[in-house]
Amino acid sequence: MGGVRDRGGLAISVAVVALALFVFVELPSIPADGGYSAVGPRFAPMLVGIGLLVIGLLLLRQALAGGWRDMPPPPDEPLHAPSFGWIAGGLAVQMAIIALVGFTIASTLLFVAVARGFGSRRLAHDAIVGAVLAAAVFLFFTRVLGLSLPASPLGVI
Amino acid sequence: MGGLEGLASGFAIALTATNILWAFIGCLLGTAVGVLPGVGPAVTIALLLPLTTQLEPTSALIMFCGVYYGAMYGGSTTSILLNTPGESASIATSLEGNAMAKRGRAGAALATAAIGSFVAGTIATVLVTLVAPPVAEWGLSFGPAEKFSLILLAFMTISAVLGTSALRGFASLFLGLFIGLIGTDALSGQIRFAMGIQELYDGIDVVVVAVGLFAIGETLYVASHERRVVETVERIKGSLWMSSADFRRSIGPWLRGTAIGFPFGTMPAGGAEIPTFLSYATEKRLNKGPDKFGEGAIEGVAGPEAANNASVTAALIPLLTLGLPTSATAAIILTGFQQYGIQPGPLLFTTQADLVWALIASLYLGNVMLLVLNLPMAGVWARLLTIPRPMLYAGIVVFATISAYGMRNSWFDLFLLAFFGLVGYVMKRFDVPVAPCLVGMILGPRADTELRRALQISQSDFSVFLTRPISAALLAVAVALVVVPAAMRWRDRRRARAQVTLG
Repeated sequence: MGGVRDRGGLAISVAVVALALFVFVELPSIPADGGYSAVGPRFAPMLVGIGLLVIGLLLLRQALAGGWRDMPPPPDEPLHAPSFGWIAGGLAVQMAIIALVGFTIASTLLFVAVARGFGSRRLAHDAIVGAVLAAAVFLFFTRVLGLSLPASPLGVI
Repeated sequence: MGGLEGLASGFAIALTATNILWAFIGCLLGTAVGVLPGVGPAVTIALLLPLTTQLEPTSALIMFCGVYYGAMYGGSTTSILLNTPGESASIATSLEGNAMAKRGRAGAALATAAIGSFVAGTIATVLVTLVAPPVAEWGLSFGPAEKFSLILLAFMTISAVLGTSALRGFASLFLGLFIGLIGTDALSGQIRFAMGIQELYDGIDVVVVAVGLFAIGETLYVASHERRVVETVERIKGSLWMSSADFRRSIGPWLRGTAIGFPFGTMPAGGAEIPTFLSYATEKRLNKGPDKFGEGAIEGVAGPEAANNASVTAALIPLLTLGLPTSATAAIILTGFQQYGIQPGPLLFTTQADLVWALIASLYLGNVMLLVLNLPMAGVWARLLTIPRPMLYAGIVVFATISAYGMRNSWFDLFLLAFFGLVGYVMKRFDVPVAPCLVGMILGPRADTELRRALQISQSDFSVFLTRPISAALLAVAVALVVVPAAMRWRDRRRARAQVTLG
């Protein structure tokens, strides 16, 4: 059939099947004993595993037979990788440094990165807006809601 | 406690200064997030869940409900003024609403939407007051077998009825069911699928999944696929009021919309998308007014908006009386109850009567507040639409990360948030609905528990689900919902194929 057109659908179908296989690999480590009930903590995972496997295989069949059925038209614009990258990168950086530099600084960087992902080129403007927002939110969440968030090396915010 | 008696005591609680304030904050926030593209009520309530540690249950839940139906009011402003409608339930409104705005009739469109929402919301609340207590009483007779079958029915409807593909709906549902399994099993204390990661022993938090799938996923999608979309906001010209002719033309659609929306809300069919389009189609067929549909007919705004609000309000019946969420937002509100150790269901009306009735009373109150907030102030809300997209989405992402990180200050939660953001992006890109995943995650563990309880009582006899009449009926409906459409599609395809060979 010369190359599969629906590569995205194929990849997701394979992922669903893989998740099903993961469930079956893990199953033996869950005890089957249900006490007074006929079924124990292993039963529901088994059903979910079977469900995932059946769905995954059906999706796989559709993907191989010309693509998933009943799909809406693809988005007008193809994936713009730099935009995606800025946002994903911003999330990764925040994750990595939040414990070190505190919530406000890490979130300001995230804010700038996401804004950049949406095409903003005003670095200073975005940094100031982001810092003010992050600081305000930090104070609100820690003082009013009583959540604990890491402060920056400056202490207060 | 009967309906009216309960309602009276509910008003006594809802009308205290603090609760009025929280209802107002909820309505305000709800309208704002309804107007803003990129955030919806589900994400907002998820982000507000940490408040449950600070507030007493009644106040927090009154606020959550305010956000829930406030977002429906706010959503109409966006669908009328903006050329790109936000959520699916407001697409029907935007068809005529945006056309009206383009013709300089934005004021009348906003007015009929706000008043229609008020009329529908209030009628629906009256019906909730009357219908909820008997339904709860009926629900009291449910044992674990019935509860399991009911959850199964909800799974079927939310996966198979909504969306374009039942198969993709089920894929989403089972992903959610799997996520729900991760962590410590409530009945046996066994840890499942944690892969030795300690952070997973308590399970994955609903907030991380909901906010990741919706907010982060949406952000990634809009940033990378909708860069060239130009949003144009229509100006509100003229007064924010309707002429008496507009009013006469709106009354019928409002009432018909309410009649269409309410039953859909009570069924576990999820969401307000279907009734709004049904109402739109009905008004289009009945239309004898001076304006053609597609060119800005007020009937096409009045009907769907009423249907939307009626169905959203009616969805509180299965949520409060049976503990059954019929949409993603309702599922998050359910989580809000659970944060207080309260399980919505038939017992709620006896054990937490004050809370339930205060909540219902606050709906009456909220509808009045929202009418006042939305009608004269539509221009103020419309200005939210002028926030530049980079700032708006950057703000949404920052808010999303706080709620994830604030729970236990672990980078692992930020990782999960980003991971589910990626999953949410893929789901949106490949038309896999998100709501079934969330409902599966939240209701899955309960289905597991009820299943095992039922089998414990029946002494391991699986036929208990079929021998108890209510359970059997629920299962029959659940199976029919999947089998009948599938069989019809199969028949259509066979016919089409037969015609191809004949022709």
